[in-house]
Amino acid sequence: MRHVVVDCWARGSSLLHRRDPRAKIVALLVFLIALATTSRGLPLFACGLLLLLVAALLWARLPVWGALVRAGIVLPFSAVFAIVSWLAGDPARGASLLIKSYLSALAVLLVISTTPLPVLLRGLEGMGVPHFLLDVGQFLYRYFFVISEEAQRMNQAAAARAASSWQWAVGQRFRASAGALGVLFARSYARAEDIHRAMLARGFQGRFLLLDATRFRRADLLFTAFASLAPVVLRIALDRVSA
Amino acid sequence: MHIPDGFLATPVWATLDVAAAPAVVYLTRRAQRTLEENKVPLLGVLGAFVFAAQMINFPVGPGTTGHLVGGALLAFTLGPAPASVVMVAILAIQALVFQDGGVLALGANIINMAIVGVLAGYLPFHIWGETRWRRFSLFAGGALSVLVSACLALAELLISGVRMPVSVLSISLALFAVSALLEGAITLAVMQALERIQPKTVRHPQPGGSPVLAFIGLTAVLLATVGVLFAAGGPDGIEKILNLHPASLHSTFLRQASAGILGLVLIYVACLVIGRVAGRPRSL
Repeated sequence: MRHVVVDCWARGSSLLHRRDPRAKIVALLVFLIALATTSRGLPLFACGLLLLLVAALLWARLPVWGALVRAGIVLPFSAVFAIVSWLAGDPARGASLLIKSYLSALAVLLVISTTPLPVLLRGLEGMGVPHFLLDVGQFLYRYFFVISEEAQRMNQAAAARAASSWQWAVGQRFRASAGALGVLFARSYARAEDIHRAMLARGFQGRFLLLDATRFRRADLLFTAFASLAPVVLRIALDRVSA
Repeated sequence: MHIPDGFLATPVWATLDVAAAPAVVYLTRRAQRTLEENKVPLLGVLGAFVFAAQMINFPVGPGTTGHLVGGALLAFTLGPAPASVVMVAILAIQALVFQDGGVLALGANIINMAIVGVLAGYLPFHIWGETRWRRFSLFAGGALSVLVSACLALAELLISGVRMPVSVLSISLALFAVSALLEGAITLAVMQALERIQPKTVRHPQPGGSPVLAFIGLTAVLLATVGVLFAAGGPDGIEKILNLHPASLHSTFLRQASAGILGLVLIYVACLVIGRVAGRPRSL
């Protein structure tokens, strides 16, 4: 599965992997805002940002080509709107939609593939996001694979019983799918109760603990300063040159 | 429909992010209060269920299938505030891990799908859930949740200046209507299956409350959805916004912003007064 790849990337070790999650979140937000608020001279600025991201990918020892391809997930959606904008007589906006959505996705991908999700969520908690919400998110991610595999098994079983045969009326197959989804819901519900009992049995007291506490070091401060200044300085420089 | 980064104009995403943050905190607190135990695993696993439910296809016609979106189904089983929290978690994970929807646009996506979508989906169930219209309320809830989210997303794109020819606009509205009806049908069918398999998971809204207020709420949702679309979708509206943009924006920005904020405060006060007068305010 695709997303497992990101999980493997996040477990690598490099200077970028070791940075505090808060530093990376701040740098990501500055990057995204600098990109989102640009309208003049976008192509040149975008090239600069792309170079910056590629350098960071190399620095993190991630497969550059693989990351560039993976960030292309957004392109089909953006391409539809780019075509619509082009049809409406605004090709410049279409191009800017493509560029901005791709670069934003690549930046988010860079952060998520250098930070394991539990660490990233802990960083968000340090920035004031309610921990209840983050715990729900963490559970969601952990059990996504389990429940998806269950859904796939149910699909396979249904196919083995010829549930997709065209001899059935649409209404009958619709009801069969609804029943399958109902069963999946009931199983997920029961599984959640089991998980909760197992957690209580192991002494769960209402929040997750990370084994290694994160500390904001001087290197993190340096990284934050450099990584957030780089896109801003680049943009100011390009504005000066073009003006 | 998850809006990626780069689609919304800066005033739009920034406003929606600012508006979404306190709403999410409030809903999280409320969800923590309403469910008494095993809430973290329950909400997390049901969020994973909504993710995985996309793998089970529903036949629509020859060669086409649809799948559950899930906001309304969660609201009918968990209640509105926990359902919103689950949807927020889903959207955040999708934006971070799967690059499906932007990080700056997260506030917009949360408002569209996790807050307004879920609450609008719960409203018919809240009004008719315990009457003989129950089945209709399940269907209407599913349909409304998708319709409201999609219309809001479209309106935000249009306000941001993404231009669409009228033909494309009408095609996408027709698609929204079809997917809304489909979501209603799927939600109804799954809820009926659930009531047979595991009745204890299905909520029963407390009877009582003023039906008049509920009707006003429903009308407001419909009017707001359709009205926002017309306000944003009419060519005049867009032209005005676009014409305002390049030259006059900077000089009059402060004046416009303060006028807007003043208007919002006035409307808020008016709603507060009407709510106090019309009856004891009942929250959803």
